[in-house]
Amino acid sequence: MVKKKCVACVLAGGKGSRLNSLTKDLAKPAVPFGGKYRIIDFTLSNCANSGIDTVGVLTQYQPLLLNSYIGIGSAWDLDRKDGGVTVLPPYSESSEVKWYTGTASAIYQNLNYLKQYQPEYVLILSGDHIYKMNYESMLEFHIEKRADVTISLIEVPWDEASRFGIMNTKDDMRIVEFEEKPSNPKNNLASMGIYIFSWNILKEYLEMDDRNPDSSHDFGKDVIPMLLEEKKKLFAYPFKGYWKDVGTVQSLWEANMDLLKEECDLDLFNQDWRIYSVNPNQPPQYISSDAIVKESLINEGCTIEGHIDKSVLFQGVTVGKGTIIKESVIMPDAIIGNNCLIERAIVPFDIKIPDGTVIRSFDDEIILVTEEMLGGLYSAY
Amino acid sequence: MKRKLLGVIDATTYHDDLEDLLTHRSLAALPFAGRYRIIDFVLSNMVNSGIRSVAIFPKMQYRSLMDHLGSGKNWDLNRKRDGLFFFPSPIVDSDGNRIGSFEHFAGNIDFFYRSTQEYSIISNCYTIFNMDFRPILDWHRQSGCDITEIHHQDGGSMEMYLIKTSLLIKLIETRNETGYTCMKDIVNNLHHFYNICHYEYNGYAVMIDSIENYFSTSMNLLQSDIWKQLFIKEQPIITKVKDEPPTKYIKGSYVKNAMIANGCLIGGTVENSIVSRGVKIGKGAVIKNCIIMQKCHIEDNCYLDSVILDKDVKVDAGTHLTGTTRSPYVIRKGTKQGALMNS
Repeated sequence: MVKKKCVACVLAGGKGSRLNSLTKDLAKPAVPFGGKYRIIDFTLSNCANSGIDTVGVLTQYQPLLLNSYIGIGSAWDLDRKDGGVTVLPPYSESSEVKWYTGTASAIYQNLNYLKQYQPEYVLILSGDHIYKMNYESMLEFHIEKRADVTISLIEVPWDEASRFGIMNTKDDMRIVEFEEKPSNPKNNLASMGIYIFSWNILKEYLEMDDRNPDSSHDFGKDVIPMLLEEKKKLFAYPFKGYWKDVGTVQSLWEANMDLLKEECDLDLFNQDWRIYSVNPNQPPQYISSDAIVKESLINEGCTIEGHIDKSVLFQGVTVGKGTIIKESVIMPDAIIGNNCLIERAIVPFDIKIPDGTVIRSFDDEIILVTEEMLGGLYSAY
Repeated sequence: MKRKLLGVIDATTYHDDLEDLLTHRSLAALPFAGRYRIIDFVLSNMVNSGIRSVAIFPKMQYRSLMDHLGSGKNWDLNRKRDGLFFFPSPIVDSDGNRIGSFEHFAGNIDFFYRSTQEYSIISNCYTIFNMDFRPILDWHRQSGCDITEIHHQDGGSMEMYLIKTSLLIKLIETRNETGYTCMKDIVNNLHHFYNICHYEYNGYAVMIDSIENYFSTSMNLLQSDIWKQLFIKEQPIITKVKDEPPTKYIKGSYVKNAMIANGCLIGGTVENSIVSRGVKIGKGAVIKNCIIMQKCHIEDNCYLDSVILDKDVKVDAGTHLTGTTRSPYVIRKGTKQGALMNS
């Protein structure tokens, strides 16, 4: 096997249970986002754009769709002779099946995958986040600081800091303290769950963590505190830019709406850092003479005969005549009949909404449309 | 089908009437319907009909065609055995004496010898259609004809022929003795004993041979009954993937009756038009009855009516450009249009 300087591992086994029915049959990294993408596209494209060509994707919860979506990685140019993308599901050993019980145990169980590339550094990523980041710069920082571990941090609003893992650093960015969800945060620099480990440290500490019966085998809760206790060199890499962990229906909706701003912090149009995805190969969108489209993001394969305002439409969506769609996200291949009204809602993929359906929220909450809901709960328009 | 039918696309054609659009590319690579090149239609039809080996014979200016096709991966034709074959011709036409396609085929006769497919379909590269060739092959085999020519119900040849590969080889090898330079010569000549049949096709099909007909065919795509005959979910027209984001409609945009590809940023009015991938249309700009090709940039407050903008054209703010639907104004690839140049 050809030696690789840096190998990435993407944790993609998360359920994302607060996304309700959206993640019933698929893992959170496979949730559609931004009219065309799935959430994991951002991490995989960042890898490809950062020159990292060896990526292990660790799956566990509902992996079918994710596995077939990733395939051999050609969409992200990760179908390589040496390295490329490898999907790593949990596996059984002679005595038992070992599920990935935590982020650290997931990587620990794939140390053999990493060993074959004899890496100097291992980049650990989450497949759940939406952001554009150059991991190469982070790796340079790691090397320059001669760090054992580098953790990427982002500034979060002070009032939200207690929801995150907060890092306290010295002036040279060396991490002196890590607090998981502190009630009185001393800082508003939160961990993004992105780590670069020097290989020897990773191997040593994951083996140690595995032997500890009291550990929950999580990087944030167990491995990082252990490293700090042993005075290892942990550095904070400050990241500036758009970063979102879309854990809830509300935040998924908000992140989609962010894209409609004229000056969006997450620039999908920048050709120098493209976000790749599996291309559906559908014809251009057709906007009929009855349609009106305002401030929206619309993907190929859509047929629009209604009014679309401040909405995100994925590929292959059909919108009938007289229908109004406002501040909503319509996922792939949804068929929306005539004379419907859909406001502040997320319509999942493949759903068929009958003529005259009214879906609107009277409070601030975003409605996630389900098949059951369409069974008669909503009156005719 | 895999073992039965060989696809042969004759991309050597050139139409003088399309000159303005063909200075940088072969006819096969002419952009169409916002994201396709004309050759995508016949090539996708072949792939959708189960053809696994396709030979393309281009001539002149084939760089853009080659770039578009690549290894054939987008059409699933990057195969270990069979797949996509690209045979640019080393022969250049001499003045007023165009060389027939058999001459080009002859330069690569080994390919035909090596092919295991019993039948071949030879097609032109400039027809807009969505056709399943399988029923035609069945028909051809049952009819006992030597050559089947596909005709459109509106009359006229579609310049597509089914023939046994062995007979095709024979015709290519005897071209100097017989004087037949291409399939058309044979079907139009009665001084032979080959049994020629016509298969009548009644679906939508248009052959692009002039700017006027390119323009009207493009505009007809905005009629949903035509659109639905070309873009069928089970028989998709496949093209090169570009990884563009979805199209973004920004404040002030007003769009009706238009076909718009991905990666566009639209801030103005677009009506009765076809807009290709990665086009920027500024605020206050009005685009009517236009075909805008890839990566054009139309700045604020322009007015364009009945114009074809070839790829990479930049139109300065406030420029007015108008043509007529019978004779659309064609702006050549990569040029810049200023407000002062055309007022």
